[in-house]
Amino acid sequence: MDILEVKNLTKKFDKFAAVDNISFSLKEGEILGLLGPNGAGKTTTIQMLLGVLTPTKGTIAYFGKELHENREEILEKINFSSTYTNLPWNLTVKENLTFISYLYDIKERSDRIQEVIDNFRLKEILDQPLRELSSGQITRINLAKAFINDPKILLLDEPTASLDPEIAKFIRDFILKQRDEKKTSIVFTSHNMTEVEEVCDRILFINNGKIVADDTPDNLMKTIDETTVNLVIDKNNEKPLLDYTKHKNWEIKYEDRQYSIHLKEKEIAELLTFLSSKNIPYHEISIDKPGLEDYFLKIARKNKFREA
Amino acid sequence: MVDSFYWITLDLIIWGITGLYFQQLTADSKQIIFMIISGVILWNITYRAQSDISLGLIEELWNWNLINLFVSPLTFIEWVVALVTLGVVKSIMSFLFGALVAFILYKVGIFFLSIHLLTFIILLLMTGWWLGFTVSAIVLRYGTRVQTLAWTLVWLISPLSAIYYPLSILPVWVQKIAIFVPTSYVFEQGRNLLYNGVVDYNKLLISFGLNILYLIASIFFLRNSFDSVLKKGLVKVF
Repeated sequence: MDILEVKNLTKKFDKFAAVDNISFSLKEGEILGLLGPNGAGKTTTIQMLLGVLTPTKGTIAYFGKELHENREEILEKINFSSTYTNLPWNLTVKENLTFISYLYDIKERSDRIQEVIDNFRLKEILDQPLRELSSGQITRINLAKAFINDPKILLLDEPTASLDPEIAKFIRDFILKQRDEKKTSIVFTSHNMTEVEEVCDRILFINNGKIVADDTPDNLMKTIDETTVNLVIDKNNEKPLLDYTKHKNWEIKYEDRQYSIHLKEKEIAELLTFLSSKNIPYHEISIDKPGLEDYFLKIARKNKFREA
Repeated sequence: MVDSFYWITLDLIIWGITGLYFQQLTADSKQIIFMIISGVILWNITYRAQSDISLGLIEELWNWNLINLFVSPLTFIEWVVALVTLGVVKSIMSFLFGALVAFILYKVGIFFLSIHLLTFIILLLMTGWWLGFTVSAIVLRYGTRVQTLAWTLVWLISPLSAIYYPLSILPVWVQKIAIFVPTSYVFEQGRNLLYNGVVDYNKLLISFGLNILYLIASIFFLRNSFDSVLKKGLVKVF
């Protein structure tokens, strides 16, 4: 069941279309990654989804109801965390969480606050004002704030930025647990591609305000047919290999006694046949599979090329 | 919270000493010091009501917290009511504290104004609200680069309010402008009560009418500014 449905969403600033006629949906319990280069339109989209930016055109419906007409009812069931907002710096962690719990009119307030304090390991810093805390601690508090109303939909803009790897892993596991246990749906942006691969069920790639891809991380990675083969061979066998890669127009690099050959995935067999036919033995071989980062870079390169 | 007590105390000390000096120069001494001290205390109500509304918004901008408020179910009206309520509470606290300090330092009892005092307070609070809404509307449109208005706009109408002097002392053309300033009626009637023992409620009714008019206009302006900010994006206001 779609619990968020976006149709023909457009945002123009004067003549510039920051978001250009995008449509997508989010299912219950789905984690949707919103990816794209800087300035692609991700934050603009998230702001419109939160109702803090008026779209030029298009509709946003949560739980089958239009956001603009049912704002309060919808916002009670969703929440948000981002690196570009903060909670009041002079209030302590507990005061901030209490204040937010009043905004969402949470029943059994103290129990819920205690739950997020435990979930995000905030006990030790509870009575400290935010101005005294590190950026990692503040990110944890922002996340605690985002989960305080037990939301059905969460919009997380780089939720693990400035967290150390251990806490970031803990947060990722927590997000997945919420999805599995409570069927929480999440819209997630991050620049950490490994994280996106690990967490997201589906990815929307946005570029120049348009959706350029909408698929699972696996399927997106499959669209990248380029790969890198790393070989360790004796120096005296170098020449035929260099000649062959030049002939085939493959990019080759030598680093740390290892040759890295950049080629299409289907050309790997051709390379191996060549090595065998020329009796060039290799001591080590490895293949770097294309990742989401490669996809991201491909899109970003296209963007740069178009801008140039 | 400290500023609710700090400024009123400082004003009372400075203006009180000035009043004591005038007391030595004139025969009509008791009423002069009362007029000055009550002026300080009553004007503080407008100042506090205005600045608490404007600073409420500015503090959210300083904290980058405005988005957190408006991604919650909080409505625009609830936010405005919360700012006004906070302003009223702090104004009343500051007023009571000022009244106590005035009594301790100068034996001036502001409650001499009896039931009329309540009318004056309501009218002065209303002026503070529409000034506060106007400043907030401008800050929403132009961001914290115009935040100085939160401390200065209220003082723009203070010369026209005739807080410490009768309106008649002002040049005629200024008097003509002052008739559009609701607070001028309040302070004029305060002096009327002090010197003649009567209050002309028709004049206070004009003040009320002007306040209502300005309140409606300022709320419309604030709502309009908020809607225009939503077109740019709330995240872009700082």
